[in-house]
Amino acid sequence: MPHIEPLKAEEIRDPELQELIQRGEELGVPDALFSRILARAPTLAKAVLHAMLHSHAEGNVDHRLKEIIRVQLARTAGDPYFGGLRSARAAKTGLDESRIAAGSGRFEDDPRFTAAEKWALRYAREMYLNPEKIDAAFYAEGKRHYTEAQIMELGAFIAFHYGMQAFARTLGAQPPGKR
Amino acid sequence: MALNPDRIDAAFYDALRRHYSEEEIVELGAFIGFNIGYHTFFGTLKFYPMFAPDGRLVSQEESARIYGAAPGSLAAASK
Repeated sequence: MPHIEPLKAEEIRDPELQELIQRGEELGVPDALFSRILARAPTLAKAVLHAMLHSHAEGNVDHRLKEIIRVQLARTAGDPYFGGLRSARAAKTGLDESRIAAGSGRFEDDPRFTAAEKWALRYAREMYLNPEKIDAAFYAEGKRHYTEAQIMELGAFIAFHYGMQAFARTLGAQPPGKR
Repeated sequence: MALNPDRIDAAFYDALRRHYSEEEIVELGAFIGFNIGYHTFFGTLKFYPMFAPDGRLVSQEESARIYGAAPGSLAAASK
């Protein structure tokens, strides 16, 4: 059981919050556990869930790449909850476990990733392990692959999801199958 | 949360409940997580406050001189 008990479904009566929780359930990230913990602060929960769902599943960067990055970040954060969740949409559009695992490993040498994908994977890995490596030259390289809007989309996605993973780790939340 | 997340265990949450409601603890946790994530991202972008402490609008170069071009990080300080 997580350190903060999630609300029961019937205790959540705000229709907008119910819809956001449902959207998370359908995507698979976050599932109802994290959403119902957040629901203890309902106004905050709506803002957080909007941002999580928008940054992960919308925008102009491939959702499957974001899903690989999200799992890599959860491993950096040491968070088993978000590390154990998977996007149903990414799986449905061809993302498999082998590629997800490769994104957390030696992806620089992996021919399955393009140069643009490798840059994005390095961006996420270095952000919280070696942020001093993300300098002007690093961003200049990123601009050869992505627009400035896409780089901001990636950076904000990385920052937001890593932050929520850092919080989830302290909650002691576990993914389905380990509860 | 940022430096020693293993210290935030069940006993830590029990201690928090002596001071805050569950709603407030969730609010604090999400706020702290948000700041952990975003401040590192912002640090890589190398931007500085638009205004000097006296309220003047200043260039990014001057702001960097005022506020420090390399803000210290807690993670680095703890190594």
